[in-house]
Amino acid sequence: MMESRPTIRQRIRTEFGRVTKSVMRIGWPQTDKDRAAVMISSIFLHIHPARVSKHALKPSYTLGLGLISAILFGILTLTGLALMLYYVPYPAEAYRSMKDLQFVVTFGVILRNMHRWSAHAMVAVVFFHMCRVFWTGSYKTPREFNWVIGVVLFLLTLLLSFTGYLLPWDQLAFWAITVGTNIAAYAPVVGDQIKFLLLGGHVIGPTTLLRFYVMHCVLLPLAVVMLVSLHIWRVRKDGLSGAIRVDTPVAEKGGAFPASTKTYGLMALTRRPSASVDARDPNDEVFAWPHLLYRELLVTVAVIVALHTVSLLFMAPLESIADPTRTPNPAKAPWYFLGLQELVSHSAFIGGVLVPGLIVLALVALPYLDRGTQGSGRWFAPERRVANTIYTAVVIVAVILTIIGTFFRGPNWGWVWPW
Amino acid sequence: MSTEMRKPGDAPREPARREFFFAGVGALAVATAGFVAATFRFLLPNVLYEPSRRFTIGRPEDFPQGPPTFLPDHRIFVFNGGTEGFYAISSVCTHLGCNVKKGGPGFTCPCHGSQYDENGRVVRGPAPASLPWFELSVTPRAQLLVDQDRIVKPDFRLKV
Repeated sequence: MMESRPTIRQRIRTEFGRVTKSVMRIGWPQTDKDRAAVMISSIFLHIHPARVSKHALKPSYTLGLGLISAILFGILTLTGLALMLYYVPYPAEAYRSMKDLQFVVTFGVILRNMHRWSAHAMVAVVFFHMCRVFWTGSYKTPREFNWVIGVVLFLLTLLLSFTGYLLPWDQLAFWAITVGTNIAAYAPVVGDQIKFLLLGGHVIGPTTLLRFYVMHCVLLPLAVVMLVSLHIWRVRKDGLSGAIRVDTPVAEKGGAFPASTKTYGLMALTRRPSASVDARDPNDEVFAWPHLLYRELLVTVAVIVALHTVSLLFMAPLESIADPTRTPNPAKAPWYFLGLQELVSHSAFIGGVLVPGLIVLALVALPYLDRGTQGSGRWFAPERRVANTIYTAVVIVAVILTIIGTFFRGPNWGWVWPW
Repeated sequence: MSTEMRKPGDAPREPARREFFFAGVGALAVATAGFVAATFRFLLPNVLYEPSRRFTIGRPEDFPQGPPTFLPDHRIFVFNGGTEGFYAISSVCTHLGCNVKKGGPGFTCPCHGSQYDENGRVVRGPAPASLPWFELSVTPRAQLLVDQDRIVKPDFRLKV
């Protein structure tokens, strides 16, 4: 009997399988070994560990805030790229292109709304992420420097939002940037030079718009991408806070692929007294594929749906074209700077330079001053009552100032009731 | 010749090559840093395409006596004090650069509520300095000329 030749259908499947295999070496993982291997062998997936502690997966522990920040940054990059195709960074043209996006370009208004609302959301979410990390004491050894990177990322987020604020070239944009750059001019010694450098002149004009455009679209996003990579890489290397740590290796109760085998290859390289796997309880861990990836996918979909809903319901503001001769009354900065503006309304130097400068300095120095290792990895640990109380007090003051600036200030920055 | 090959008692070989290498790398690093520092100057524009800070605003009789005339394009108030003479006060709030408005006897700022008296002196609010007064002069063509780079005291009057 003749050997049966493969049918065309079988041959196509084989060939297709070979192509798939050349792209994704592991394929869809079926075994625990492959579930680990798929995470390590992909450049996109390997920012996750192969196995992740169950504690870190609890939504109630991290609230997914870091992930949501990253998703929002991704959405901002994509919508921003789309908007750049129509936007012209020159004063009157800039305003005209905003009008085009709003009334002429198909879905332009939705993309602009999404860009605007994700920017606001990102400022809030990054701030909440910082609060979460503080209240769970997650900046403790060995994560001190990652906290510092996080503080820089928060400042970059504010700067990104602020530089984007000028681009529509409407009254809102022009006067918010007037107030903002004049606050910068109160910096000691180099204040006026900083303002000149930011504006590219003495007054807000075409040079200023171009500078803000370049910062907003190239310089700051590049810096954020670099620092976020570093930030996530260090989380990956240091592990998430709050995982159960044990002093002696624990035997694994079940599973085909023991956790402690996976870094044997690295053992010769590690300088720590023991490889980190030895200090973890393998019974506390599950595979990142599918447990972590599934949750990430779910959060991503939820964020996208929420943003679409908000962008369909609420229009991003666009006032009349910027007019340097007419100051709106009251002239307000974006909401996340209104606490600052409220402080500035009492004293420009103290409120605009001294207080924010000291707060940033305190945030950067914090993990090096607060060196106790107690109470890390839990929300509001009683051992950290002093630190948590101080931080919470500062947050409450900042929130109250922002609320006052947003709702209780009217013409001439006089007190008004919001109702 | 590696260190391991040295016989006991030999003087340590002078690491001339390594020192030369370090000196070379150091010099290159200094030169690179110098270039980067010099390039900073690139960020400061040499030509500003901005309105001139010295400009004419019209004939003296264009400005009526009594309340000041606000020139939004130049961001100044021009006063005609009759027989006393003319003077000009900036409308840019010294706090954060908003336009002040004429209100009551003096000026108020819409951004943070700074108040100035009729001579531009701070009465209350966060403004750190008075509104500057600019020098006025008359051109040969009988036009009023404002020079924003020449700040004058509040007793300045231009008699025409």
